[in-house]
Amino acid sequence: MPMFDYVRAKSVAEAVELLADTQCVSRPLAGGTDVLVQVRHTPPTFQRLVDVSRIPEMKIIERQGDEICVGAAVTYTEIIESALLRETATCLVEASRLVGGPAIANAGTLGGNVANGAACADGVPPLVCLDALAHVRNSAGARAVPVADLLSGPHETMLQRGDLITHFTFPVMPDGARSTFIKLGRRNAQAISRLNVAAAGALSSEGRVIFARVVPGSALPRLRRFVEVENMLIGERPSEALFETAGAEASRAMVAVTGRRWSTEYKEIALQGLVARALRQVFTVEN
Amino acid sequence: MLIELTVNGRDVAVDAPPDITLLDLLRDYLNLTGTKEGCAVGECGACAVIMDGRLVNSCMVLAPQADGCAITTIEGVRAPDGGPNDLQQNFIEYGAVQCGICIPGMIMAGEALLMRNPLPTREEIRMGLAGNLCRCTGYQQIVDAIEATAKGRQKG
Amino acid sequence: MSHITQPLEYVGRPARRVDALGKVTGQAKYIADYRVPGMLHAHCLRSTMPHARIARLDTTPALQVPGVRAVITSEDFVNHGLYGFPVRDKYMLAWQKVRYVGEAIATVAADTPQAALAGAQAIVCELEPLPTLFDARRALDPDAPQVGPDRNDGQHPNLKGDHMLVRKGDAETELANCPIVLDRRYFTDWQEHAYIEPEGVLAMPTPEGGVVVYAPNQSPFINQGNLAMVLGLPANLVRVIQPTVGGSFGGKDDIIYESSAQAARLALITGRPVRMVFSREESLVASYKRDAMHMDIRLGADRDGTLRACWFRGILDSGAYASETPFTAWRASIHAMGAYRYNACDVDVYCVYTNNGYAGAFRGFGNPEVCFAVEQTVDELAEMLGMDPIDLRLKNCLRLGDETAHGQKLNESVGLIECINTVRRISDWDRRRAEYSRQTSTEKRRGIGVAIMYHGMSLGAEGADHAGATISVLPDYSVDLTSGLTDYGTGSRTVYVLIAAEELGVNPDRVHIQRPDTNTAIDSGPTVASRSTVLGGNAMRAAARNLRQTLDLAAADLLRCDPQQLVRAGEAYVGPDEEAVAWEKIVDHAREMGLILSAHGKWEAPKIVWDHHHGRGTPYMAYVYGAQVAEVEVDLRTGNTQVLHIWAVHDIGKVIFPQGAYGQLYGGITQGLGYALTEQITYPEGYIQETNFESYLIPTSVDVPEITAQFIESAYSYGPYGAKNIAEPSLVPTAPAIANAIAHATGRRVRELPMNLERVLLGHDLQPPFSRKPVEAALKIPPRSMPQTAPRVYA
Repeated sequence: MPMFDYVRAKSVAEAVELLADTQCVSRPLAGGTDVLVQVRHTPPTFQRLVDVSRIPEMKIIERQGDEICVGAAVTYTEIIESALLRETATCLVEASRLVGGPAIANAGTLGGNVANGAACADGVPPLVCLDALAHVRNSAGARAVPVADLLSGPHETMLQRGDLITHFTFPVMPDGARSTFIKLGRRNAQAISRLNVAAAGALSSEGRVIFARVVPGSALPRLRRFVEVENMLIGERPSEALFETAGAEASRAMVAVTGRRWSTEYKEIALQGLVARALRQVFTVEN
Repeated sequence: MLIELTVNGRDVAVDAPPDITLLDLLRDYLNLTGTKEGCAVGECGACAVIMDGRLVNSCMVLAPQADGCAITTIEGVRAPDGGPNDLQQNFIEYGAVQCGICIPGMIMAGEALLMRNPLPTREEIRMGLAGNLCRCTGYQQIVDAIEATAKGRQKG
Repeated sequence: MSHITQPLEYVGRPARRVDALGKVTGQAKYIADYRVPGMLHAHCLRSTMPHARIARLDTTPALQVPGVRAVITSEDFVNHGLYGFPVRDKYMLAWQKVRYVGEAIATVAADTPQAALAGAQAIVCELEPLPTLFDARRALDPDAPQVGPDRNDGQHPNLKGDHMLVRKGDAETELANCPIVLDRRYFTDWQEHAYIEPEGVLAMPTPEGGVVVYAPNQSPFINQGNLAMVLGLPANLVRVIQPTVGGSFGGKDDIIYESSAQAARLALITGRPVRMVFSREESLVASYKRDAMHMDIRLGADRDGTLRACWFRGILDSGAYASETPFTAWRASIHAMGAYRYNACDVDVYCVYTNNGYAGAFRGFGNPEVCFAVEQTVDELAEMLGMDPIDLRLKNCLRLGDETAHGQKLNESVGLIECINTVRRISDWDRRRAEYSRQTSTEKRRGIGVAIMYHGMSLGAEGADHAGATISVLPDYSVDLTSGLTDYGTGSRTVYVLIAAEELGVNPDRVHIQRPDTNTAIDSGPTVASRSTVLGGNAMRAAARNLRQTLDLAAADLLRCDPQQLVRAGEAYVGPDEEAVAWEKIVDHAREMGLILSAHGKWEAPKIVWDHHHGRGTPYMAYVYGAQVAEVEVDLRTGNTQVLHIWAVHDIGKVIFPQGAYGQLYGGITQGLGYALTEQITYPEGYIQETNFESYLIPTSVDVPEITAQFIESAYSYGPYGAKNIAEPSLVPTAPAIANAIAHATGRRVRELPMNLERVLLGHDLQPPFSRKPVEAALKIPPRSMPQTAPRVYA
């Protein structure tokens, strides 16, 4: 007896219908890089996988006015190869380059990364940094949820049975804004993030910070923007001292949430350095 | 269920359960055992094949996901005369092979890289192999072999 | 009739690995690729406790599971399957007790892998916990829980074999008189071999009542001996064949012998072929590792940098069974003081039982552990004295004519100084060292470090050291070789082909070597200790020379001359009338003369003497030497260490197969790099946490830098063409070179392996709360679903 059945959806409508089937517990399948590992370790909680990886509507990468739209079934490789995203979402492209070797980048999808809900996911901090909305469909209708609000804890999301993330949208960043992504792993490839940081920012014509985003990954059980760090940057002139102060504030904010865990002694030092470094990359103007 | 796909240029239809991986399909149903299982969780690349022009870990692809796809495995990498192609020859010439268990995956990763980037730098070659673990060679002679192949193909 | 004065045709020249073609085309068959009709699948029930009494073991429920054909336990073996060398302490399946998490208790054979797993899960196995021992430093305390078997020689039962020692003079007194003394503590952690091919075996019953076992083991004759013993069969009914092996590095001995015994017994019971293939998770849980080692070292020196004394205490944690680790402890003791001269030396190494998995052979075999300690301590001494680390090493390292700390006079083939001087030059050491000493960045800093080493060749005083080979000419004029030593990726088969071709004066394409098979090859001892080139190579050379003599006689007869008058033109023979006669014609003529065109060759290593009680003597026939320099960049904010370049210069004697030798060196360095930085196995409460490659991190292609390597060919008169060896020594100095580079970059020493993010940043490791989940998941991984009948495939 097979552990589960497989069906391939040709459209979002068909996928939503299949996922809504009350007779058969179904779960979306995109790149497969998470699902196939999970069924190896624990018996599946679903009876059917609905393959959404080739639904054309979920493969788009396009600019729609002041927004960028990225389909949930877009792979990391497709992100890396997108000229539009290289221009508008550097942090997302850099994160995609670091997610794993080419085979993982060819299979793994942005939607899958979000839906899996791992705290160490590399694709998610950039989305939160970009203020992305996840567009979720189910048989009752469609809703748009900030990506950060979709994540409720380690490997937990607010997604319900029958939900399908179809695409993400995020506003084009202000003129002159830059973003970056830094990953710290135990190895240079095929490594889970010990910590990562997505950051973005822009300076006014007077050289003061007018836009700042700081999103550490693998730091909190629930990913979010470090608004306390962003606020202290706004209106300031970039300087080494500012970056270090911001880094220290990020560490403080992390420990305030997590308390002192086994890894805190390490992470509080490393996060300060990574946040400072990310801000340096974003705000240092090369000539 | 019936899974129809093209493997190494040949159209096949296989009656197989829906919950097996492409790796199982290749090895156990099509007897193409050149594709190896090293970890079964997408970490080692021993099972790498080319699917519709892209490198994938066949252990991370559900067999029915390959329905309608064109798959190239190590058995499909050959010179026109049926012998080893230039990349395979260079793996031999440059001493890139030791125990050999990772080599089919390495060759698929090398071919996939050269399809997209015909003249990669050594650093780009290393990036192209980053998902393929080798425990014997330290990768250096594998990089040598791919670099030499790229240069050879440029000359035509 | 010696022709060795002629320049070498094949030895030392570019060559193609003899088994590479099948490997690059995917045609080479590894154990998991074998499938035979009627084959059953086997799966083990494994212990989920680190130390327990088997209170109840009822296999009958497993036999009720549909598809299950047989179940075995230790009762199915002679003497419960007790085996092991040098300490006989392990059972082919656990008897009465389990001593580590993952130990095999029973094995099920079934029609499908799923049924075999279901059968194993149906077995009723009640385990009663026993007191556990996880801290090796406590193992020899009088009140430590007993893990090892009873001993009646007054020694602590947790000591494996004897304690190993080296003594020269009075080290304590010498240290007391040294103006500079360093006293340091080091720790090296467990390391997994991480061969990309997990373990497996295929056993087939024979019509005579025996068994043929295809086993990717290192030493088929040891497997054969074990099988005959535990199955109660005469050796001639047990045949072990080695298929293509997907990497071993010391790791495919005991674990494969056990799997072989289990599959063989199940094959004999069911009368059907039985295959067992591990998942990666099962491999990591069940297999043996490199031991962890706790080391205390004291070095004494004069103010001018002259080393005077070394005092060393090592406790080698090799877990629940001895496997080969008493020998590891011995090799560690011999190399603990490093490749230096001392007035006095005092080394003790204790190999102890714990309930932390178990350790066995792993490339380097004790030397990587001790080299990490001594090479950092020497470096620190240079720092204290304000000396350049290379200058200090040059001042003290072993030279031709020196006597080692053990009392062995080094009469030939000592290329260490040349290795050090060469690596200094090619790495641009002095410039980089000076430049990196001036850095002030608080973000990232570079450092450059050196480590040197020596490594005793072959088994040394571990045991009898001999090898045999056969050679014959087949009807198609090809040349057929066998060797009792095996090739699990090392390249030794190619080395043998090149040697045979060289001696016979024929093209290597004509020469083929059989797969290792106990039915055809000559027992040559274990394939370990980097001994294949010298031992097997000499045996092959002897065999080929014997055959060459016969062919020379035939040629002299055909060409009507004295054998001394023969010369060769390519493969052809040329006599006094200067007409070239094809090699095939000589072969034909030899057959017409009734000569037999096959020969044996045997070689025995020179006798050595080691006094285990006094720690003095000649531990090895000779040594290989090497020096490596590592350049690193350390992220001071995160502890992340990037290795930017490695320069490696090794004295390995004459190089026979250059691509193979370089490949061994690059690969060894890469394993050393992983050992240094990322590879970590932890056994909190005895439960391994790293059960696949997502958590056990071996270096990828973007973690390994470009390596610049060079060989010093300091000929060894007993080696074939002056060859020594390379496999193991290549990884020995890598971790300490990286450690010394980190210290240079950061000003701080990391004295524990691996030098992970936490240790480099904080100076100590942090461990997450332990979990039983990885092991529990690992032991019930759903097996691959195999088609039971021929799959329907439509073209």
